[in-house]
Formats: sequence, C-alpha cells, structure tokens
Amino acid sequence: MSADRYSRQSFLGANAEDRIARCTIGVLGLGGGGSHIVQQLAHLGFQRYVLYDDDIVEESNLNRLIGATSTDVPAETPKLHLAKMMIYSLMSNASIRGFACKWQEKPEPLRECQIVLGCVDSYKGREEIEITCRRYLMHYIDIGMDVHGKERPVIGGQVIMSSPGGLCMRCMGFLSDEKLAAEAALYGNAGHRPQVVWPNGVLASTAVGLAVDLVTNWTRSSRTHAYLSYDGNQGFISESHTLRNLQVKSCPHFSESAVGDPILLEL
Amino acid sequence: MKVQIKLSGSLYIGIIRDLTRPHPFAAERVGFVFGRLGSLVDNNRLILLTRYHSIPDNQYVEDHTVCARIGSEALTWAMQAVYHGRSGREGIFHIHLHRFRGEPGMSAVDRREIPKLIPGFRSVGQEAAHGIIILSSDHGTAWVWPQGSTEPVHVDCISIIGTPVSVFEHGRAK
Repeated sequence: MSADRYSRQSFLGANAEDRIARCTIGVLGLGGGGSHIVQQLAHLGFQRYVLYDDDIVEESNLNRLIGATSTDVPAETPKLHLAKMMIYSLMSNASIRGFACKWQEKPEPLRECQIVLGCVDSYKGREEIEITCRRYLMHYIDIGMDVHGKERPVIGGQVIMSSPGGLCMRCMGFLSDEKLAAEAALYGNAGHRPQVVWPNGVLASTAVGLAVDLVTNWTRSSRTHAYLSYDGNQGFISESHTLRNLQVKSCPHFSESAVGDPILLEL
Repeated sequence: MKVQIKLSGSLYIGIIRDLTRPHPFAAERVGFVFGRLGSLVDNNRLILLTRYHSIPDNQYVEDHTVCARIGSEALTWAMQAVYHGRSGREGIFHIHLHRFRGEPGMSAVDRREIPKLIPGFRSVGQEAAHGIIILSSDHGTAWVWPQGSTEPVHVDCISIIGTPVSVFEHGRAK
C-alpha cells in the first residue's frame, strides 16, 4: 500500500494502519446506514469484513443507499453486492466474507470479528446482536434513526457502543422489556419508517469514528461504552441524557463468564 | 483446524499486571487462565477466556535452573478447577510472559516442562480444550490441545477486545 494513501490520517498513531488492517469488522445491514459505513471503513483501510444483508435494491432505497444507481432497481442488485463493490473499488486486496442472508442463519463467521456495526431497525434485532457480541466477545456499535410526528417532524437517532465488561444497552436505558413488548405488539403492522440520507450519514460517520477509536485509541479516551443521541432538527449529537442521569456503574445483565457456545446442563 | 483466542481488555490488563509483579525468588510469574469454546465455520474453534487465577507466592518452588517452577499445590488447584468446570466445558491455559517485544515462542524449558501438564488437565476435563499461552510486551501466541486431540494446534490469532483492540497473529510481526 502506498505510504501516501494514509498520510492524512497519520495522527491516528504510528501503528494505526496496521491495527486497522488486522481488525475483522462485521456490518449487519447494508442499507441506508450500512452502505455509508462500509464506504468509510474502506477509505480508512479496513481490510477484513464479514457482511450480512438479505435484501435487494428497490426504488424506495435510491434516496439514501450509497453506491446504488437507477439501474440497480430493475437488476434487483443485492445490497451485499453493492457493498462488496464499494469496498473492492477502494481496497482491492480486501478479504470480504459476505452473506446474502440474515446473520442469524449463518452466525459462525460473525464470531471472528473484533467489532460489529449494527444497522438494524428493531429493538429485538439489536438485543439479539448485543447478546451474541457479549457471548463471543465483540464490541458492538449500533446506529438507528427515526422520524417522529407528521405535522412537525422530528428527526432523532442514536449511536450506542456496548463492549464486553462494560454497560449494555439495557444499562444505558436504551433497551427495556417495555420497548420490546411494544414493538412485538406492532408485529406486522410497523409500516415503512421514514429514512433520509443525511441523518444516516451523520450516524454512520459517528459510529465509524467510535470504531476507529476502538482500534487505534487515538483519543486516549479508552471508552467502555457510549450512548450518543442525535437531534436531526437542531443538527447536533450529544451524550444521552438518559445515560447521564442513570449513573449506572456496572452491568448486571451480562456475566463475563457467560461466553462461548451455550451448553445444556442436565439438572 | 484453526483456532482463535479472544479475551476482554480488562482480563488482559489484569493478567499483565499480575505476571509483571516481582516474585520473592522466581525470575518470572506464571498463572492459569480459563477458556470456553465457541464454534466457527469448518470445524474451527474459538476459545473465549473468562477468568484468571494468580498463583500465590508460596506455591512457587525455588529452583534456579528455571525462571519459575510451581509446586504440586498449584497444580492440584488447577486440576480441581478443571474438574469443577466440566459442566461448562471450561478448559485451562498455562500462561506466562516473556519480557521482550514481538511474537514469543517456547523456550527450551517451556517445551520440556509445560506440555507435560496437558495430559493431567485432559484427564479431568476431557470435553474442554486446554493449552499454553505465552505473552510478550506487545504480542502473544498460544497452543491449544482441542478435545479429542493429542497434538497441539498453534493458535492463529489472539484478539484483545478492549481499547485499543489488539490482534496478535501467529507468524506476522506486530
């Protein structure tokens, strides 16, 4: 690799290029958020990917799906294909293991990752990823956005980082049984959520920034968790008030010994 | 078969902190770390380290022909721990630190002495994988005896899931 290619990111540290190249990173969902993420990861020099998306490009994706063109709609191009092409165009020697299925259908490759970036729509989906990340020791960075209200729409979103040994999404007040139950009650009736390109870009960029900091520790912050809230109307991201007010110090939901393949115990 | 090891950043820091403490007479410290199994594609294996056991000072044996020798009390404790961890298929790994940079290897003494421990661990924990981990100041390497195998597998990589994330790959300089 040309030394000049990463000269503008040398502030990330002397070994940053090597650290980034060695990290295996998973991206779950390659739509509005995930397409931004893979593009940025490839620019940064990430070389090892485990990607999942079972969807194809549709007309309604063209307002935000990075890399998609009008020809991808009639061609029914898989979103996974777009992501791979995006990465290979920037990083021809990348190692990509891509799966056009739900990650739960083929979870083993994901377990080799050090960092997983999740771009899924549901609380249930996030909970399943976080449980897997704790069980197989992976940092999990989640992004999500939503638009509330019709008369005066409000764009909101979040970027959450949940790491083994640190606070989880329940500790941070993001996941709860009530939210999961409410979502389950809407099953099959959720409809299409509003999605636009720029909030996805803001959230994806923030998530990639967290991932780079995890790999290089260039900020010296040594974060063990993060919950950043996005106010798309005002255009700012700040630490979640929920997290700040909860004052939780340690996670009671995940034991550090509850790792590896689950085992059935005879009682 | 390919094998990878993962451990959290906090566990790694705890291990390094303990192994770098001076001992009253031994030139280096050793410890035991426990690991559970995760399955990967193609019958490859993931070992997820869970907890570390620091060997008390008085369980070392004074022997100036080696950097560190632990006594029967420490080994008995390790065997019992493996036995009690059978239900979780928890294996045990002998771990120590070489104080230099780069990928470490087994010294002649390591090769002669440490693998002798493995049959004992296997006899009380047949369903688990046991092994040897050697760390250096900026790298690490390991050998694993998978369940049902009498030969060790050199571990492909050890990942520290902390901040920063570190990936120690066998055969690739850091």
